[in-house]
Amino acid sequence: MQQAVHEGSPAVGSLVASDICVHPSTSVRTVVEKFFESPQIEAFGVVEGREAVGLLTRQKLLFSVFRRYGFELYGRKPVIMITDTEPLYIYERERLDVAINKALARPSQDVYDEIVIIDEDGFYKGLLPVRQMIIQQSNLLANSIVQREMAHERAKELEKINHVKSQFIANVTHELRSPVNAIIGRAELMKISCEKGYIDQLRDRLNLVMSGAAHLRAIITNILDLSKIEAGKMEIIYEEFDIMGTIREVTETTRVLLGAKPVDVSIESGFRTLTVMSDPIKIKQILTNLTSNAAKFTDRGRITLGLLASHDELTITVKDTGIGIKKEDMDRLFIAFSQVGDVTTKRHEGTGLGLTITKSLAHMLGGGIAMDSEFGRGTTFEVTMPITHNTLISQEDDDNGHRR
Amino acid sequence: MDTGAKRILVIDDDNNHLIAVKEILEIEGHDVYTHNKPFGSTSLAKTLEPDLILLDVNMPGLSGDALSKLLCSHSKAPIVFYSSNDEDSLRQMVRSHNVRGYICKGDLYGLREKVAHYLTLSQD
Repeated sequence: MQQAVHEGSPAVGSLVASDICVHPSTSVRTVVEKFFESPQIEAFGVVEGREAVGLLTRQKLLFSVFRRYGFELYGRKPVIMITDTEPLYIYERERLDVAINKALARPSQDVYDEIVIIDEDGFYKGLLPVRQMIIQQSNLLANSIVQREMAHERAKELEKINHVKSQFIANVTHELRSPVNAIIGRAELMKISCEKGYIDQLRDRLNLVMSGAAHLRAIITNILDLSKIEAGKMEIIYEEFDIMGTIREVTETTRVLLGAKPVDVSIESGFRTLTVMSDPIKIKQILTNLTSNAAKFTDRGRITLGLLASHDELTITVKDTGIGIKKEDMDRLFIAFSQVGDVTTKRHEGTGLGLTITKSLAHMLGGGIAMDSEFGRGTTFEVTMPITHNTLISQEDDDNGHRR
Repeated sequence: MDTGAKRILVIDDDNNHLIAVKEILEIEGHDVYTHNKPFGSTSLAKTLEPDLILLDVNMPGLSGDALSKLLCSHSKAPIVFYSSNDEDSLRQMVRSHNVRGYICKGDLYGLREKVAHYLTLSQD
């Protein structure tokens, strides 16, 4: 009998609870003893050769036997005499839900009898109690509810991801087009200067075009880096390098970024050199992202780059006396494009990609990033990385105090 | 008869764009006024009574589309979105707002032509 296996409802053959059976010629007494010896047995299949010929349930057998004179009447007789020879036979390929319907459609005195599972040839496969079928069915039902709920959740999640994706694309589009348009505008101004013969204007305007192009390049690099991180293509390549050298290099770049703003940039660390095993490019990227943010949001005061090494941790800090971050904005800080939020209501210049990338890089190096800020007073970013036995290679302490 | 130069108010948080637009449109013979934040733009529009307002869409604090509604209630000047946003989204925004049209940032030919075009329209 070919029966399509329904994915929600298993075939009863897979649920057979016991294949315990007796031969029809077994004496009633023997079967009664078996029931007394094994209280967990509720029924026997009656099987001749391999063929199922009936069902003996504990309840019905004991009922007939313990009626008045029952035992005297039947004790020595073959069990077939009091066997239910027309129990509910169900093919092993039948689906559970169909089998339950058949079982429950029986007359009330038989409704709790085990069903007898047989194969296509009528050979005995075992018994299945109705109670167990129903438990199984309700488990399946519960599972399917859970699964439906999970599928629903997943669908909602996907919808959200989809929304974020299209938002992301809208943001990328705007964030790329905006600097390009700025460059076009500045180039047009240069053209106007040329046409008017105002040659002395050209140098300033050329500088604006170049800084616009540099800004655009930084955004493109960030977007590409983020895609690389998200695609799992960003690789960490460990090598020995002097992390103090990297910090000094970034300090110089930061001074250039600040231009004429009255901001002092300094390093706070007890080391002259500190050779570590890490990825110098990623460390530099982390530092550059943090310091360029500091430079952007600090108009006066100080930006301090710090490096601390404890026995198990390397801590890099970038501290500024800039505009600070409001409490309600802190959570969104490490989310791509969150600075822009919805393109139609952006709050600050920038894509918010830098911190997203910085956080991912810190995680890839086995560390993390933390932030503390007071609105109007300044912000401190702290990147920590674990020092394993081979991270810290060598160090030279700074002998003229702890500052440079 | 009005023979004077047309007054154009440009509202954009990005000073780079303001500088460029001002110079480009002044060469076209217009009087160009710039304002670099949403705040204060409505009262400026009221006192200036410009013939045309070029309005950036993405500004901190108040989005250009919300601002366009405010400006509409304070000034009769036709408003044109001037933005780096996707052209399709600008076209849709124009439809759903009471603004005259849009100009894509970076399209300088379009800037000159469309400004001239919208100024002619506002004359009628």
